[in-house]
Amino acid sequence: MAMKTEGSTQGNFHNVVSEIGDIGRDWHGNTITDHAEFNRPYCKKGKSIKQLEKPEGPKADRAIVVSAGPSLHRLHSLETIKNSDFDGSIICVDGSYMKALRAGVIPDYVVSLDPHPTRMVRWYGDPNFEKNSKNDDFFNRQDLDITFRNNSILENQKNIDLVNKYAPKIKLILATSAPKNVVERAHEAGFDIYWWNPLVDDPNEPNSLTRKLYGLNPLPCINTGGQVGSAAWNFTTTRLKIQDIGMVGMDMGYHIDTPYNMTQTWYELVEHVKGREDDIEDYFQKVVFPLNGTESYIDPTYFWYRRNLLEMMSQVDFTTYNCTESGTLFGPGIECVPLVDYLQGTIHG
Amino acid sequence: MSEFLKGNFKTKSEVKVKSSQEENEDLQDRFRKQALGSIGGSMVYVERTALDWDGDED
Repeated sequence: MAMKTEGSTQGNFHNVVSEIGDIGRDWHGNTITDHAEFNRPYCKKGKSIKQLEKPEGPKADRAIVVSAGPSLHRLHSLETIKNSDFDGSIICVDGSYMKALRAGVIPDYVVSLDPHPTRMVRWYGDPNFEKNSKNDDFFNRQDLDITFRNNSILENQKNIDLVNKYAPKIKLILATSAPKNVVERAHEAGFDIYWWNPLVDDPNEPNSLTRKLYGLNPLPCINTGGQVGSAAWNFTTTRLKIQDIGMVGMDMGYHIDTPYNMTQTWYELVEHVKGREDDIEDYFQKVVFPLNGTESYIDPTYFWYRRNLLEMMSQVDFTTYNCTESGTLFGPGIECVPLVDYLQGTIHG
Repeated sequence: MSEFLKGNFKTKSEVKVKSSQEENEDLQDRFRKQALGSIGGSMVYVERTALDWDGDED
């Protein structure tokens, strides 16, 4: 790949980054409101994130946030956690939850945010898997789980059974933006559900969408950073009040060997550059991970997520430990450390 | 505008009809916004705002 390095001037790249926030807000606004409306009866009968009891003992002291980036599979991070004596809280995002269960790691919390109507339910075992995956190669393009890709219907049924078995023991931190099928599946499986609103704009502004969401469901609103991994970090920080946090699977980018067309927003980028196909290289930047020199690349979406998370981290007065061991996430407020060191407690917050 | 929709009366205010070029540009803009919206990923993010908000009572 003739890829430019991070920091070199790329007008096309940064033009897209600068537009993502506003356009995302326009694009998702109606969906979020519709889902919040649908979820009203569930929220009314269910529990607010405010009612969540704070963890105690070692679980109150330390936490690992498990995101679903490619390193989780590539570096066997969950197996490393399983084989350790780590006794802190474990917070999975929805996309890493199944991988965790399969590795024998039972999380204390699972965070779910994404409003996509057909894709997200897959993380809980999808009762309509064939219908929802028809004509959608989103997961096939990225999925590193070869077992699932090669035998997806059977594996999906195994996932349903596994989720049903463990759901009652797990607190699902569910955003009001969640789609109907995720909400129904979560209730059917028997999760202990706690609801929250995504903070989507300044609630003090006139016509604030956040205030509208709060009006529909008077629940705490959490800034998401644009994606569930950052929301999970924020949940751990502001709700669990844990200040010694390690993160795994938080790649915020792609391993250098990943073909462009295997990236999450490939089709959208192709649509965006239509007529200027020679410019496609401008939308990817090479990044070297400082801990071990691993090479990755970042696209505008992950660049935006990364910037948002770094900004969120600048609002707290503790250091977060990135134990992903690859990717693009480093900077002020973050120390990159080997996962085993964090698990052994040789790194102290 | 479709020939069938032309009336035999005058409207009080002038009706501006978009040219096919304007309509095409609108459509392109919409597709572009859709593409960028998807690039924007799963959720929106509010810059330079508190990490959370618990409503006015807090």
